[in-house]
Amino acid sequence: MLAGAMFLFAFGITYKIIEIQFVEGDFYKKKAESLTIKDGVVKANRGNIYSSDGSLLATSVSRFDIRMDPVTVSDENFEKNIKGLSKSLSQMLGKSAGYWESYIRKGRKTKNRYLFITRNLGYNDYLKIKSFPMFNLGTYRGGIITEQRTVREHPIGKIAERAVGYDDYRGKVGIEGNFYEYLRGRNGKRLKQKIAKGQWKPLNDNNEVEPVDGKDIISTIDLNIQDIAHHALLEQLEKFEADHGTVVVMETKTGEIKGISNLGRNKKGNYYERLNYAVGESHEPGSTFKLMSMMVALEDKVIDTSTVVDTGNGAYKIYNRTVRDSHRGGYGKISMGRVFEVSSNVGLVKVIEKAYGNNPQKFIDGLHKMGVGYKLNLPIKGEGKPRLPNPNDKENWYGTSLAWMTHGYGVHLTPLQTLAIYNAVANNGEMVKPRFIKEIRDQDRVVESFDKVVLNPRIASQETIDKMKALMRNVVKKGTATNIYNKNYELAGKTGTCQTEYWTDNTQYIASFAGYFPADNPEYSCIVIIHKPNKKIGYYGNVVAAPVFKKIAHKIYTKKPVIDEVKQYEKSPELLVENFESYNVKVNKKYETMPNLKNMNGMDAVALLENLGLTVVFKGTGKVKQQSVKAGEKFDRTKIVELTLS
Amino acid sequence: MTKVLKNISGDKTIWAIIALLALFSFLPVYSASTNLVGVVGKGTTLGYLLKHAMLLVLGFVIIYATHKIPYRYFSGLSVLLIPVVLVLLAYTLYQGKTISGVNASRWINIPFVGIGFQTSTLASVVVMMFTARYLAKNREKKIYFKDSFLQLWIPVGMVLALILPANFSTTAIIFVMVLLVAYLGGYPAKFIGAILGFGILVFAIFILSAKAFPETFKNSRINTWVARIENFSNPDEEANYQAEKAKLAIASGEIQGKGPGKSVQKNFLPQSSSDFIYAIIVEEFGLVGGFMLMILYLLLLFRIVIVATKTDTIFGTLLVLGVGIPIVFQALINMGVAVGLFPVTGQPLPLISTGGTSIWMTCFALGVVLSVSADREAKIEIDKKKNDDNPLSVLHETIG
Repeated sequence: MLAGAMFLFAFGITYKIIEIQFVEGDFYKKKAESLTIKDGVVKANRGNIYSSDGSLLATSVSRFDIRMDPVTVSDENFEKNIKGLSKSLSQMLGKSAGYWESYIRKGRKTKNRYLFITRNLGYNDYLKIKSFPMFNLGTYRGGIITEQRTVREHPIGKIAERAVGYDDYRGKVGIEGNFYEYLRGRNGKRLKQKIAKGQWKPLNDNNEVEPVDGKDIISTIDLNIQDIAHHALLEQLEKFEADHGTVVVMETKTGEIKGISNLGRNKKGNYYERLNYAVGESHEPGSTFKLMSMMVALEDKVIDTSTVVDTGNGAYKIYNRTVRDSHRGGYGKISMGRVFEVSSNVGLVKVIEKAYGNNPQKFIDGLHKMGVGYKLNLPIKGEGKPRLPNPNDKENWYGTSLAWMTHGYGVHLTPLQTLAIYNAVANNGEMVKPRFIKEIRDQDRVVESFDKVVLNPRIASQETIDKMKALMRNVVKKGTATNIYNKNYELAGKTGTCQTEYWTDNTQYIASFAGYFPADNPEYSCIVIIHKPNKKIGYYGNVVAAPVFKKIAHKIYTKKPVIDEVKQYEKSPELLVENFESYNVKVNKKYETMPNLKNMNGMDAVALLENLGLTVVFKGTGKVKQQSVKAGEKFDRTKIVELTLS
Repeated sequence: MTKVLKNISGDKTIWAIIALLALFSFLPVYSASTNLVGVVGKGTTLGYLLKHAMLLVLGFVIIYATHKIPYRYFSGLSVLLIPVVLVLLAYTLYQGKTISGVNASRWINIPFVGIGFQTSTLASVVVMMFTARYLAKNREKKIYFKDSFLQLWIPVGMVLALILPANFSTTAIIFVMVLLVAYLGGYPAKFIGAILGFGILVFAIFILSAKAFPETFKNSRINTWVARIENFSNPDEEANYQAEKAKLAIASGEIQGKGPGKSVQKNFLPQSSSDFIYAIIVEEFGLVGGFMLMILYLLLLFRIVIVATKTDTIFGTLLVLGVGIPIVFQALINMGVAVGLFPVTGQPLPLISTGGTSIWMTCFALGVVLSVSADREAKIEIDKKKNDDNPLSVLHETIG
């Protein structure tokens, strides 16, 4: 009976197991899975960004935040180690050991199990803090809580911060933000099983989906040039207390952006990479636009550089407004070339009005044909929209529109759009697209490389280009920018001093300089734009912007390893060369008979004969006058050859 | 070793079952020890394995030593041990150890060794022996309730009363077992009814007084019991965490199991290496493994009953049943809890679960069973020689 009851009991248990497994099985199995298995994300490593010379511009590093659970530590371990821990923390993180001790004790007392210690530790510091007393006991017994984060670091710091950009909660900016598809890679997936509260282990040996690491981007930025550009601009901005400024250095032949710096001022008056002005800020360019105006006129052959125009006293009334030259009193009658060099508004306006006044659309068409007024379609988002006035738009087209447009008012261009035209001139008429990326790499393998993109194979005839090149060179040599002239290293470009906010009482200026260097064989083009310098200190383009250009040009020139051919000024004496050569000829001959030694240098003759195995004696110095064995005779090695020298 | 094996006597099947269970126990114990290491954060898995091995080796020493003792000595031993057990139980309770605010004073630490000793397990064996002794002694006499109350129920009741505050389930099991043995030993059924009623009454008074004076019984486990029973009657209650996890384990084990060491729930089931080890066994070895294990215990029960029926003394029969059946009963309770047939109680799975005293007391009890069985074998040998016609009466007189 007893045994029967027990067997019944056992049967009940078996029944219950079967019930749990088969009747409720699916429910519990699903529940077990949902409670203990999750999809873990295996993060793909983000690619790095390198400069064109191989320096790291952006990379991902691990950062560690340290917190503490002082409650989990046993009394014994706590009392034994608290002094040592406090002392070590004080050495590493500052503050007194006493502070740390009372801080941690207080945390323990108030049962704060997530006590903040420090954040943003590098890996080495993390290893160090882990070895501190108490912390070296681990998470459960020592209470240390570490949280790892991956953060993006820019090893070169604030330089080119904006161009390198970021891709995070702030949005997508610069190379980081606009090429994220290359950089990000694809996260993998791995099933994880819970093994304890908050602890998960991988379920299988392999990841369910392997992560694909992001690709590396080799940018066009040259760290050296970037550094030069950044500091040259910064120095000038500080000197002139300007609101903001931008510098772009571009390789003439390829369109690669070698340096790009955008600095804006914060409330404290410090400058930092604020916005990508070079890409995004469309503004009135002022006199740097005269290049485009001149080129249209030259292309249409309505003028030549030698065309003489009367600039009068530097003022010219058109409709109800007056065009003025910055030079008081005007320049009188000067050539068009000179108009460009001294940046005479009056001269240019008069000529253009005369030629295009009746048909302003022709002028606009000329600009369009060149490639002015179009977006560059940069891969970096937020390119400013260029704007040219439209004569058909009657509401916004005034009688003065054409005139003001010639010297860069009523026109809107971004610094990069202006630079692209200047670069095209430097590049003999071929307009290339500014580029930020050279290559995409996966480890050491090049996945994709980018070549120059030609936007307009010829913006103007070679004749026009050559003329403009000469004029731009003259601007520096004898025009508005003589202050940056250096006869050993010639630069070419155009200054711009543009009024802005002229519609308010407080007119401000935009000082600019665009050009290229070296003047005779352009390698780089460069634009410098400085907004709203302090008027009391200076505002002219040649004073504010041009020096930045000069500094960049000179520094690149001096830092670039150029092979200089040093000409030998001391001529080697011709006689010596002649002698050596005739001797050489003689020595290298194979002699069967006695050579003619007459007029040969004494020493050479002796050497020659001795090499032939003859014994030689000689008298005197100088050249051979007589030889004892006549030329043409057979060698007799027993005889001594006597030479008489003079 | 061979010498030891040669000297082994008693039921060979029981020996084999013990060996099988002990060998098998390493698998789930080793597997479940990751819970203690990884979650509770103490010790190493190898450490737990070695400790378990050591406990089992000592357990075998205990079985071996015990089964060499002629079983008649246990009669007198039980009388001597009752006061010892009472003192130990009182001391245990007095310690007032609490686990998260409730009374969990079930253990005393053995000095120097550092192993917890669960006094109630010893008490269980001693009480069973004591009961068997009393019944065997009064087999021929007319039993008066008053006499038996004084001689049997007072000592047994005192022991149970001391176990109750800390461990209801053990108390209940011992009580039921004592009544069972009493019934088998010819104790009048009406008295058994009276005692059962009395026991329930005492328990009710205990609970009611605890409810009436909560301050005095602040640390008692009454609330835990109530909660457990409530949870058992309402399976929807989310609070029944352990039972739920056990079901998850059993369900995910399926027929063949996940394989040794591959249990997932072991890390979430508290007491996965003792009270809920059966759930882990089913998860790892499946329905098949769980069933085989149960068969082993039933086989053990079967052999125990055989030993009991073959024994020629009343004391021997009652002793074997008294110490043997609780082992299997305990095993079935443990399994029943794991599969959700019973409310959660802290009964280990004999010979499988970790825990020193549980294993040792099981071994002691099995040693007693084997001692009886060995005596029988020896008798048969002697019978063959002497051909004594009434060994039963002779032995009976010697027990006296």
